[in-house]
Amino acid sequence: MRNEDHAVDAHYPHIHDWRSATKVSWICSLCLAPVIIWSVALYGLSAALVWLASIGSALISQLLVDAAFKRFTVVNGSFLLTGILVATTMPPTIAPFIPAASSAFAILIVKGFFGGNGKNWMNPALAGAAFAYVNWPAAMRDFVLPRALSGVDGLSAVTPLTLARDIGVSGQTRVMEALRQSGYPLSALDSSLTGFLNDAIFLPLGARLPEGYMDIALGLKPGTLGESALLVLLAGSIVLISLKLIKLEIPLAMIAGFALLARIFGTGLPGEELFRGDVLYALGSGGFLLAAFFMATDPVSSPVDRSIAALYGLAIGVLCYAFRRWGSYPEGVCFAVLIMNVISPTLERRLEPLLRPRAERTAA
Amino acid sequence: MMSIRGFRRGGVTLPQRMAFSHDPIENAFLPIHAKLTLRAAGSGKEARLLVSEGEELREGQLIARADGKGTTNAHSSIPGIVRRIVRGRSPDGTALNTVVVSLAGSFSISGKRPERYIWKSLNKTDILHLLQEKGVTQVSTGIPLYDLLHGKKDGGPVQLVVNALEMDPYRRVEEAILIHHPQELIDACDILNKILKPESIAIALDAGLQTAYIDALRSHAKDADLKIGIESFKRRYPQDMPQLIERALRDKRGAAGSMLCLEPSTLMALHEAVVSNKAHIEQYVYVGGGAIKEPRIVKARIGTSLGDLFEECGGFKGLPERVVINGPLCGSLAADLDSPIEKTTRSVLALCHEETHSGAEQPCVRCGACVKACPESLKPYLLYKLLIAGRANEAYDLGLARCTSCAACAYACWSRLPLVQLFDRHKAQGQNHAQ
Repeated sequence: MRNEDHAVDAHYPHIHDWRSATKVSWICSLCLAPVIIWSVALYGLSAALVWLASIGSALISQLLVDAAFKRFTVVNGSFLLTGILVATTMPPTIAPFIPAASSAFAILIVKGFFGGNGKNWMNPALAGAAFAYVNWPAAMRDFVLPRALSGVDGLSAVTPLTLARDIGVSGQTRVMEALRQSGYPLSALDSSLTGFLNDAIFLPLGARLPEGYMDIALGLKPGTLGESALLVLLAGSIVLISLKLIKLEIPLAMIAGFALLARIFGTGLPGEELFRGDVLYALGSGGFLLAAFFMATDPVSSPVDRSIAALYGLAIGVLCYAFRRWGSYPEGVCFAVLIMNVISPTLERRLEPLLRPRAERTAA
Repeated sequence: MMSIRGFRRGGVTLPQRMAFSHDPIENAFLPIHAKLTLRAAGSGKEARLLVSEGEELREGQLIARADGKGTTNAHSSIPGIVRRIVRGRSPDGTALNTVVVSLAGSFSISGKRPERYIWKSLNKTDILHLLQEKGVTQVSTGIPLYDLLHGKKDGGPVQLVVNALEMDPYRRVEEAILIHHPQELIDACDILNKILKPESIAIALDAGLQTAYIDALRSHAKDADLKIGIESFKRRYPQDMPQLIERALRDKRGAAGSMLCLEPSTLMALHEAVVSNKAHIEQYVYVGGGAIKEPRIVKARIGTSLGDLFEECGGFKGLPERVVINGPLCGSLAADLDSPIEKTTRSVLALCHEETHSGAEQPCVRCGACVKACPESLKPYLLYKLLIAGRANEAYDLGLARCTSCAACAYACWSRLPLVQLFDRHKAQGQNHAQ
């Protein structure tokens, strides 16, 4: 009945789900917009310049790609998302040409040359970040304290991640205490917030939140633009999840794998015991959660099947932990995701036949 | 507590865009000109024309006689004069002979009390003959009911399912019939019981239907001394496809034999033919969509134009992006507003952009929405890629032949890819190849 009436150029279905590739990239960008505001509030003009350079260069590169392919795809907003995500991996005072070059690399080389939207062979934003890590390693490690914490602009500092890796013998086996002991700054806001939370929630429950975590959550510590706005980021990820725009399996598996290893093997402090690692610190510092919710979930470069996606997420979590603990870059999540991006097509091709229902496999 | 059936994987939950109405179903105005097409959708052959231009017709008079399998008798839906016999177009645009009748003369059916024959005195052959004579057609497929029943009559055990499920966001015609005409439906089941002697009769309905209506059905069934099972289904597209109903019921019973799915609207036509001796000249149609002022279900004469129906429902309140016949998922675009409704027209929708969410085709971003939506556990995005790359054999290995063209994948697609069209084209080619 259907075959004949719907001849070749039939147009059905006539209605569609409200989700479309264009809307999704605009919504993702919108979810990240508060991160821009937050980081500019923390770091001032220099952060704004990084955002501007990254997004501006992404726009120009996209227009170049469009001109080359003679099609107009700027409106679908994926350049904006790439530009924003590249900027989130940058330190706030970095010279603007670096984010600009990284965005251009992301869109021209990783996306444009491979056929544009939907054809990128790895997440363009992370590829851009990796490009910057490799080309300007010193600049990518040059962090400053937020104005709100130091009172002045551009006071150099190292990130808690780097510091914790390099702490020598301190006698402390907990990361936060080791950081405090080595004289790592603590904001007044953190002390008062932690005190309040302890009094109101944790002490009645028989627990105590050590100082320092509030600074990590609020970005009152040296860090990239993206990791400075952890709370805002989590709010954005809740929006993405509730609108069913990302595969929840990926961030969950990533967090599970990473947290488990962090719990078992810790942060690498000397004298640290097994199974006493600080999971909260490990998850909160660095760009791990940003990558988990906004970068690893990029549908183009992640597996389609949900169980393979879970495996992919788990592998990223494990790799990320290994890189962070034993690699030379404390920010290993970028390379962990890129590696899995490249592996995922093969992973899918090999695993997919195994996942098909048994009856179908025997029939085929 | 009754168990609710559904299917295990896939499907899409569609937004509900129709307010449920308890009002009785109204008759639409008679058209001034009725355009009667001579073949039901889906059949290649036309019925043999019996009238010529200028001839006077009674209401319900035979104008074309069935000519072999797949064709049905056609009757004049209004009294009048044959104005023209033209090569017209059906609502979806296929060309076919059309008889245009202009309203004139007196009514022989409308406004009179329906006749009531004592059908129980008729035997099987008589009833089948009557169905053929009155041109009763299965509303969902356009297959003549005579062909359908004649084929099943001696072909082993049959399970009869009354399919009152409608999973598209607009149409609730079958449910309305279930609510307003339970007696007629049960009678129709009784008639079919006599012809087919089915092993079981079940009514498949939406789990959300109020229990009072189900109780009414049960009590009518009890009066008629019929054993009728009620099966509730979860509201999820495309549960209303006969294959999926069959699968859900088979899972439970494991019963052998073929299953015959008939809609309440078909049963109403059957009932009218057998009990009231009336030809299939009326059709329950839902007229709606976001661009229509007063959407509702009407009982319209075959041959009424879409424009007339829209006008009767208050006209347009917004600019319709597209006018669709028979459902927003698998329906077809209307050729124009002058096209007539046929025996297979169940809904006419004028959809606005806010409902269609249409957009330009974009490259696949591998979001996986199609995989989640497919009730046959296929991977539409992969099939699409393989077919585009000319690797049709691999697509068939991955189960392309199982695709039912339900369009759930294309509905969910983030990139608005024409997935079903491509699948349909290849399946059609595959069939030609096999023959």
